[in-house]
Amino acid sequence: MMLQKIIEALKARNELSGWSVRHNVTREAQVYLIGQKMEAQRLTGEENFRIEVFRQKTDSDGNAGMGTGEITLLPDGNVAEAIDTASLVAGLVSNPVYTLPAPAAIPDVPLLDEIVSRDPLGALDGVTRDMLAAASKLDDARLTSAEAFAEIQTVRHVNSRGVDAEQTSSSVSMEFVLQAKKGEQEVESFRELTRRRVSDLNIESEITRNARFTRDLLEAGAPPAWQGPVVMRNNLLATFVAGDYLSPGVLQSLGSAALKYAKGSSWEVGQSVFRGEVSGDPFTVWANRAIPYGITSNRFDLEGLPAQRVELIRDNKVVTFAASQRYADYLNLPPTGAFGGVELPAGKWETASLLEEPYVEIALFSWFNPDNITGDFSSEIRLGYLVENGVRKPFRGGQLVGNFLDALANVRWSKETGFLGHYLGPTTARFGNLKVAGE
Amino acid sequence: MTDLKLPSAMNSLRGSLADFVAQGQKRAPYFSVLLSDRHSLEILVNNREERVTERPPHAGTVLSAFDGATMRERAIAGFDRDKVNAAMQELVSGVSFAKYAPPASPSRRGDFVTPMQSDPSALSVQEKLDRVREMQHFAKGLDPRIVNCQMVYRESNEYSVFANQNTDVAQRVLRVVLYMFVFVAGEDGQVRYNWQSKGATGGWEQSQFSEEEMRKVIDGAVALLSAERIEPGEYQIITAPGVSGVIAHESFGHGVETDMFLKERAKAAHFIDKVVGSPLVNIYDDPSLPGAYGSFFFDDEGMTTGPTQIVENGLFRRGITDFYSAAALGIPRSSNGRRQDYSRKAYARMSNTFFGAGISSLDDMLAQVDHGIYLDKWSSGMEDPKGWGIQVTCHYGHEIKGGKITERVFAPIGISGYVPDVLGSVTAVSNQFKLDPGGCGKGHKELVAVSSGGPHLLMKARLG
Repeated sequence: MMLQKIIEALKARNELSGWSVRHNVTREAQVYLIGQKMEAQRLTGEENFRIEVFRQKTDSDGNAGMGTGEITLLPDGNVAEAIDTASLVAGLVSNPVYTLPAPAAIPDVPLLDEIVSRDPLGALDGVTRDMLAAASKLDDARLTSAEAFAEIQTVRHVNSRGVDAEQTSSSVSMEFVLQAKKGEQEVESFRELTRRRVSDLNIESEITRNARFTRDLLEAGAPPAWQGPVVMRNNLLATFVAGDYLSPGVLQSLGSAALKYAKGSSWEVGQSVFRGEVSGDPFTVWANRAIPYGITSNRFDLEGLPAQRVELIRDNKVVTFAASQRYADYLNLPPTGAFGGVELPAGKWETASLLEEPYVEIALFSWFNPDNITGDFSSEIRLGYLVENGVRKPFRGGQLVGNFLDALANVRWSKETGFLGHYLGPTTARFGNLKVAGE
Repeated sequence: MTDLKLPSAMNSLRGSLADFVAQGQKRAPYFSVLLSDRHSLEILVNNREERVTERPPHAGTVLSAFDGATMRERAIAGFDRDKVNAAMQELVSGVSFAKYAPPASPSRRGDFVTPMQSDPSALSVQEKLDRVREMQHFAKGLDPRIVNCQMVYRESNEYSVFANQNTDVAQRVLRVVLYMFVFVAGEDGQVRYNWQSKGATGGWEQSQFSEEEMRKVIDGAVALLSAERIEPGEYQIITAPGVSGVIAHESFGHGVETDMFLKERAKAAHFIDKVVGSPLVNIYDDPSLPGAYGSFFFDDEGMTTGPTQIVENGLFRRGITDFYSAAALGIPRSSNGRRQDYSRKAYARMSNTFFGAGISSLDDMLAQVDHGIYLDKWSSGMEDPKGWGIQVTCHYGHEIKGGKITERVFAPIGISGYVPDVLGSVTAVSNQFKLDPGGCGKGHKELVAVSSGGPHLLMKARLG
């Protein structure tokens, strides 16, 4: 067995002060639709062994240092040659010393959908069937293309201190495009989402909600020039607060010990994350890798650290940073491991009370992509609503302009909460004073 | 014969590809095999730590069977002949392929390798690490306000072999890219940052920042300490080449990927040979551009490369294609069928996308602006192929007053507007030309190496 062979070879290397190996096995099914027809169907698999080795050293001034070398080995690769290469690299670089995680209890975080595990392609057949069925009920919008992916990944992590852990997770993704037409005008909405379970995709409600957005785009007018209350809800709120799960947000960046060590985060433990007065609800955040079926959850992270729910910010003040073992050692913080999902406590406001008119509601961004160091953003609005005098008037275009942290310093959160893949928390927020750069 | 130095397992399987194609084509009307091995080395040095990382490689075989309606594929990790053979049997057995005659294609044969003066694989990691350390050490000492300076060098080796009935081609494409990041701290403790990247297909000789380039990155970061938010509105703007490139990329790059035509997602499909910009606007995609970061010799579907003129003197001419969309639309192929790696599907994807250069000097363009904004640096963009909205965010821009760039800085700045309106407002195009290296996704996935750029453009747009 290749993994055992690698472990034995690593144990035999006297020059190494430590090592870890991660065996990754992935199998995936992919389906692509144009209209109702299948454009492509793919089955794919991948297997590799990620090896990391550590070497201690002493510089000419007698200071202890440490070098690391990483290499990925494919099945049937040359083990001795790979370790030689990694060890050589570890001998070249020098960093402050840090430790490897020690064995610890690994929580049993639910990560696997048995339906996907049994038959990824079969699971996708179900997803695409449900998408098409939901779309067929629409009389004024149509599904023009879709993609779906189902993946099973098994990871075993072993290190020289005795960590030996394994986890199997599933993920299922879908994206679809809905279009509507009125005269010569054609509009579309695009939605993509990933969950660990097929049942969490909520396919019919996603199609229905996006069909409504598509219809509203047909009626959308020019963006208003607005400064005042702005409401965000559900998926859009999750993206605003927690980022896109493929590109982490401001909280994950500024709350990262790695960025703190690199002097990129100005946050300090015990200090407020806000630069001015807080006029909204107090802000508390957990970095939570243990959210059941959360798409950024795991039982253990890339270093082998067990999943945790870490209080990052309490009542506006930094409690700690999300720290890998390396940066925890460097900054003298407790090791928390990877960030995971963003969890916020339930707010104190009924949703209805957050919808006091007038306000602007943002429904779709082109891409909410703030500057993760400063928090400044200027994001094009693909669909929004100006709600006043009992009328909900859709608009498109214009930009939401502001600063992420200033926005959070003046926000009210709903009592109602929801799970949205990488976010667990209130489903509605009313930001007190944001600007829409309109016409 | 060019020595590609193909990985041994890949080289050994290459000899069997003609047999696989012949066998596959007994069942499937069209059958092809792609062998793909992509691996890269990254060296990072900053004030506080250094890393040398061999990034996880992606190496595998893609078997494709097509009957004019559905593309069926098996992607197998590695290059084991028995595993590939088993996957081929599984792929073509039990499938009822429709009758289909693939479009005739010329015979394509050859081995290609990126021209370079100094092959990085011939240098030791120590030599590369020393160069990066030296650059980082020099840069961090250029300004006392720097709290961290990070230098990153990355070299990516892409080996591909493609075979179908008429094609037997192999390539080694080497991309090198340097990144410099600078964090500076203001008196109030706030952190600002700036970066620069420089990339090419080429060798080790490409991996060097000049002192002038380093100082420009640092000056940009320092200027951001006093940056203001811009008053939203319509402005006369001059875009730096990188910003011009992102506009080309998002509007007539993503917007003309012809798989989007098939999905009825591209507004451009209704604008062939129609006006989409001022007569000064020319836009190209060219994977054959020597030395450019997004270049290659043939795409992941075996099509050898050449330039595509997308917009000619303000008229939209044609899109960029992959095999499937060209076949389904009955249009000529361009060499843009690309995969993130062997585990992903091929789509119509960009390579090097840019505005063609004009004849104006930057000084002449500035002289035409009484009050406007010079957009120095882009940070992100997003496509809107159906609505043709522009969403480009700039890291910062400078005020232009009385024909001169002033010290006043705004950040960040969002550009928005309707693509034909914005491109229609172009009144001058500079004679300078530059490409920025980058990564491009399809939506939020399918990352491939690209470059984008062009000249400076003088036009009008809404900023916010």
